[in-house]
Amino acid sequence: MKINFHIKSRYLKLVFFAFIISGCTSTGEKVDFSTQIKPILNTKCITCHGGVKKSGGFGLLFKEDAFTETESGKPAIIPGNASGSEMIKRLHEEDPELRMPYEKAKLSDEEIDLLTRWVDQGAEWGEHWAYSLPEKVDVPTFAQKASLGPENENGFLKNQIDNFVLARMDAEALEPNAPADKNVIARRVALDLVGLPPTPQLLQNFESGTISYEAMVDSLLAQKTYGEKWATWWLDLARYADSKGYEKDMERSIWKYRDWVINAFNEDMPYDRFTIEQLAGDLLPESSTDQLIATAFHRNTMNNDEGGTDDEEFRVATVIDRINTTFSVWQSTTMECVQCHSHPYDPFRHKEYYELMAFFNNSRDEDTPSESPLLKFFTPEQQKEVDKVIEWATRFGSDQLARTYKDFMQFTEPVYKSHFFKDFKSSVYDDHASVVFWDNGSCIIENAYTNEASYVLLNYRSHYNGTKMTIRANDGQGPILGEFTINKTKGNITAQFPIKKIDEKTDLYIETQNNAVAKEINILNLYWVGFVPDLPARDQPGWSDANAAFLEALNANTETVPIMAENPKFMKRTTQLFDRGSWLSKTDTVMPGTPESLNTWNTDWPDNRLGLSRWIVDKRNPLTARTLVNRVWHQIFGRGIVATLEDIGSQSEPPSHPELLDWLSLRFMNEHGWSIKALVKDIVMSGTYRQSSESTPEMYRLDPNNELLARGPRIRLGAEQIRDQALAVSGLLSDKMYGPGVMPPQPDGVWQTVYNGSKWVESKGEDRYRRGIYTYLKRTSPYPSFLTFDAGSREVCMIRRTVTNTPLQALVTLNDPVYLEASYQLAKNTREKDNVGRSIAKAYRMATLSDIEPETLSALMELYQNSLAEFNSNKEASKLFLKFDNQPTAELSALTIVANAIMNLDEFLTKA
Amino acid sequence: MKDKIERLIQEKLVREAEVNTRRHFIKSCAQGMGGIALSSIFMGCDPLGKPKTNSSMGFSERDLNPLATLSPPYAPKVKSVIYLHMAGAPSQLEMFDYKPQLQKYDGQDCPQSLLEGKKFAFIKGTPKLLGPQAEFKQEGESGNWVSNFLPHFKKVVDEVAFLKAVNTDQFNHGPAQLFMHTGSPRLGRPSIGAWATYGLGSENQNLPGFVVLTSGGNSPDAGKSVWGSGFLPSVYQGVQCRSKGDPVLYIEDPEGITRDLKKNTIKTINEINKKEYAKYADPEILARINQYEMAYRMQIAVPEVMNINSEPEHIKQMYGVEPGKESFANNCLLARKLVEDGVRFVQLFDWGWDTHGNIREGSIDLGLRNKCREIDRPITALILDLKQRGLLDDTLIVWGGEFGRTPMQENRGNKKMAYKGRDHHGDAFTMWMAGGGIKKGASFGQTDDIGFSAVEGRVSVHDVHATILHLLGFDHEQFTYEFQGRNFRLTDVEGEIIKEILA
Repeated sequence: MKINFHIKSRYLKLVFFAFIISGCTSTGEKVDFSTQIKPILNTKCITCHGGVKKSGGFGLLFKEDAFTETESGKPAIIPGNASGSEMIKRLHEEDPELRMPYEKAKLSDEEIDLLTRWVDQGAEWGEHWAYSLPEKVDVPTFAQKASLGPENENGFLKNQIDNFVLARMDAEALEPNAPADKNVIARRVALDLVGLPPTPQLLQNFESGTISYEAMVDSLLAQKTYGEKWATWWLDLARYADSKGYEKDMERSIWKYRDWVINAFNEDMPYDRFTIEQLAGDLLPESSTDQLIATAFHRNTMNNDEGGTDDEEFRVATVIDRINTTFSVWQSTTMECVQCHSHPYDPFRHKEYYELMAFFNNSRDEDTPSESPLLKFFTPEQQKEVDKVIEWATRFGSDQLARTYKDFMQFTEPVYKSHFFKDFKSSVYDDHASVVFWDNGSCIIENAYTNEASYVLLNYRSHYNGTKMTIRANDGQGPILGEFTINKTKGNITAQFPIKKIDEKTDLYIETQNNAVAKEINILNLYWVGFVPDLPARDQPGWSDANAAFLEALNANTETVPIMAENPKFMKRTTQLFDRGSWLSKTDTVMPGTPESLNTWNTDWPDNRLGLSRWIVDKRNPLTARTLVNRVWHQIFGRGIVATLEDIGSQSEPPSHPELLDWLSLRFMNEHGWSIKALVKDIVMSGTYRQSSESTPEMYRLDPNNELLARGPRIRLGAEQIRDQALAVSGLLSDKMYGPGVMPPQPDGVWQTVYNGSKWVESKGEDRYRRGIYTYLKRTSPYPSFLTFDAGSREVCMIRRTVTNTPLQALVTLNDPVYLEASYQLAKNTREKDNVGRSIAKAYRMATLSDIEPETLSALMELYQNSLAEFNSNKEASKLFLKFDNQPTAELSALTIVANAIMNLDEFLTKA
Repeated sequence: MKDKIERLIQEKLVREAEVNTRRHFIKSCAQGMGGIALSSIFMGCDPLGKPKTNSSMGFSERDLNPLATLSPPYAPKVKSVIYLHMAGAPSQLEMFDYKPQLQKYDGQDCPQSLLEGKKFAFIKGTPKLLGPQAEFKQEGESGNWVSNFLPHFKKVVDEVAFLKAVNTDQFNHGPAQLFMHTGSPRLGRPSIGAWATYGLGSENQNLPGFVVLTSGGNSPDAGKSVWGSGFLPSVYQGVQCRSKGDPVLYIEDPEGITRDLKKNTIKTINEINKKEYAKYADPEILARINQYEMAYRMQIAVPEVMNINSEPEHIKQMYGVEPGKESFANNCLLARKLVEDGVRFVQLFDWGWDTHGNIREGSIDLGLRNKCREIDRPITALILDLKQRGLLDDTLIVWGGEFGRTPMQENRGNKKMAYKGRDHHGDAFTMWMAGGGIKKGASFGQTDDIGFSAVEGRVSVHDVHATILHLLGFDHEQFTYEFQGRNFRLTDVEGEIIKEILA
């Protein structure tokens, strides 16, 4: 029997091993459900007998379906009795109408044998490995590998990661590669940790032996650029962009979230906290401004401002995106499938999707163009006023009241937004933003709660003086709650008007009258209606001041960032199952809950997003740490330990090093206290990482994806890195951090979005040369050269960027003015008078950190000479080519051509 | 030494190109990008989505060139597709779907029975019906109806097959366009052009396999995602070719650089890269060498094909081109040139068909008539030109919008509109196809007396997709890509081939 080299999972080996031991009889080795049976069921049976389709009433996805009575009235599997089990009998049938798999090839003898033995052995239903995490993993040891051991400086075994890797290599009869050269490993580790080549100083210190490898790693981990590099990865997951997406794709100011992520990485915020703050920072007691900013993670969902769209439809789309993204980002699980039906392969039920939805279904954002709730950033003076209000509410009211006031001033929620108003008479919802009232206009807010307030807060814009507004309970005949006059305003304002206190929910009828205005003329636009419990102690001196400060805060014009805020009790939505995933056909009501097949819920947790985030970072969750470890590993090695980054479950690739994945995950949680920096350091300190990536065609043939890790990683750089590196080696790169997105030069006419006046206004000064992470990202039209190098549009969560290799990429680095300017600067910086060879060698060294080899030098010299001849023969050409230079010469032009060629070398574009 | 490496590399390229594209495991395509990104991307993902049994370890021609030509699993009817999308949604009631009864009801309240349970983008309350604003005649031997907004089109009416009752459940532009082009109203799925290019590669290695041309002053509402590659490798996304500025971004050499100089540069880069390959043996390096050569050739081929000035005068007149401008006529001529040169999928978007009646350009009588004038001659010319070159039999032309328009006059804000206009309407609208494998002069599907709903021959967007894939030689149910543990199709879990319009 020949073992296909590709099926390199230890599981399959086990299968074959089992055969050899058992001699293919139906006794012997215990069959393992997860590794031996589940794969057969998944590939051969589950399409018809799964979670969606259960032909004959028999399903093999959930245990209870497998052992329950089928349509025949008997269970198909009788544990301990294979010959009496219909399932096994059917595998042997000769009649094609009866044989299973139906209308497919017969199972192999090995597969039938395994299934038979499994049933005979009691048909033990196991868990898939992905859904349970071991408590401890033993590190393989090597007695006789002294030459590879730590006492040998060039030895492979640098830390325990290497033991796992070497064990696998041993099994495949492979040897590790030699360590990479110092300049090579320095470039590799700098690109991996900070996304940029090392500074000449750091490189020199390391190459000369002044500092150790570890000291270099520590120094890189401490740099601010570390946060920028790793945030770039996280922002793909968070679908961060500077616009809202969909048709209008208007700007969204959410860059403070991007800056929060950079800082979180730089401060090495533990991953559990990092998770909780992003998913539920608003629900933490006394949440800080930073914790509120963190919740913008889930405000990166798209917002549809297109005319005529139903806000509720797109609010639901947003909630669905949040469920799917949360599970993609933290659990490597594709929940999308479960929206319409139980998962076809993994143990998640249809209902569980909606139980998860119940966690996300009660946030205040409602797909309005304003994107409320928006966290306001007050100036210090404004903040003083805000504090005054909070103090008052604390002093005369309660802490809870103070929080209500604080929240309302900070993000103006909860309020009733006009898109939910109903029964328009001489008034109309003007699509997305406000209700327009005419004379004698009216509408109804259904089932409103006035919070027992004696004031109503209105956000409106009035075009006339003297409009009488009447608010009644129930309907046009109901008792009057308030009656007041509204005068012309300059733009939108928020104002307070007295109403009668009531203490129960009621429909609110709002009516406007202004006889002075002709029919069908817009008198006022009403955006929202809100109620905040009264500011107490009205009789105390200072009340008016405090109340005025409150209104001032509401009307303050500040910078903002969209955040998550939870519905108060009186606004809670119930969550219902969607029949076949359609939001228009709702069925049973569900309560918040997490999938049964994962870790159990701790009843101490609140049943909201905060509880959900605690469940995710509970150490018993089998997927959280593994997911993170796997993806960090992928960032560094270009391949995950589980290659399917999106999916760790029964359909995923088996891990290349299962024990290593678990060991790293346990260490990450228990020993490193969720420190990502510590995890990254473990990985880059390993001998596995520090191997040379030099190889042979035979090695590639043997292990094309470097699954066995018998060589170092070799991967093309990411979109932002390629540009950052070009700017860095040419000395153009700005180290300015944070702030709104910048607009480096891009070709004219790239932005063309309907109904959107926004323009690409080229940034000035150093903003042209900022790192790629700060480049303005408009979803319908991202920065073109990044797109070409596989960056995404960040409309939805992107787990990984598929690396491609296309001619359009060559055109970018050859012709994009960004690269020409960088080439020119590199040429200028490295030029040595009258010594072309030295100039080229210097430029090459600056770009690649390697000393130039004679053949490379002669090839580049030849290019230089040819170019020089061309530029000499046409004096105008240099002027046209080097627009950046006042006195362009043929020599500098030719050297720029050479520098550009260097920036197009595979060596430059690749982390080797 | 250099010669030896050169020879080794050449031998390797040849050898590897011979290795078939079929790969070991169905799972492998989801397997990330290791050092050998390309090969892992294409590994095992043959367009049929069938598991491979061949365990050869070599990498395929596709590893080196992801656009290498592949044969479809079934005999194709056409090689290329030209898809003409009227972004904003054209009114079927003024172009092809003649409704004399609607004229009778003009100005009357729309029956409540039609409005119940319906959602409209802008219509509120009870709108009034609006009679057709164009005159209709039966044209050609087929006797199919064409309005007087399209005086040229009647010449080719016998070449096309109409679908009179296409249905979509999306009635906002962005989602509806996404649905029309990716089979899903939400983002993240590959577009039809990306699927086609992924499945078939390109016939011309010097041009992108999937080209997008826009006109009307704006990109489509849904943005670049309507020609995106979704979860397919980004090499399959549409490449936007522009009539102003560089035809493809960064295709022009910088000023002052001659072709010779560029050739030398690329030669030098590739020479050094070959040395790199000798050291690392990473097939990605070979792919890069290939891509740089292709980039060089593309720099010549793209401006050439994008230059309409080189066409003879009578052809330019036939289309009514406006050289130097961004126009639909130019794009139609370009589309012909592109498919003539072997481009797989040419996607045209013409913006400005959203005729609500709120402004003059957006009125159903005046504005729409102008838009029709802009496309009438070019489309007619495109069909005739392809035909006279014998290319029509190898090409599929698809025409349509993202939805249709209501038989009712729009009443946005419950007010009378400034102009005559119609709201978005997805229940039943018209599309047509022409070219290889299409039954000439056919008309399938019928709407009720006022053109509100289908009474027979209702087809879905998925059906349209299934039909396009069928003509390209694919079974839409088998043409899958595994992503996130699931096999995805353009047609999701639906779609039936519309046999009634096939020859």
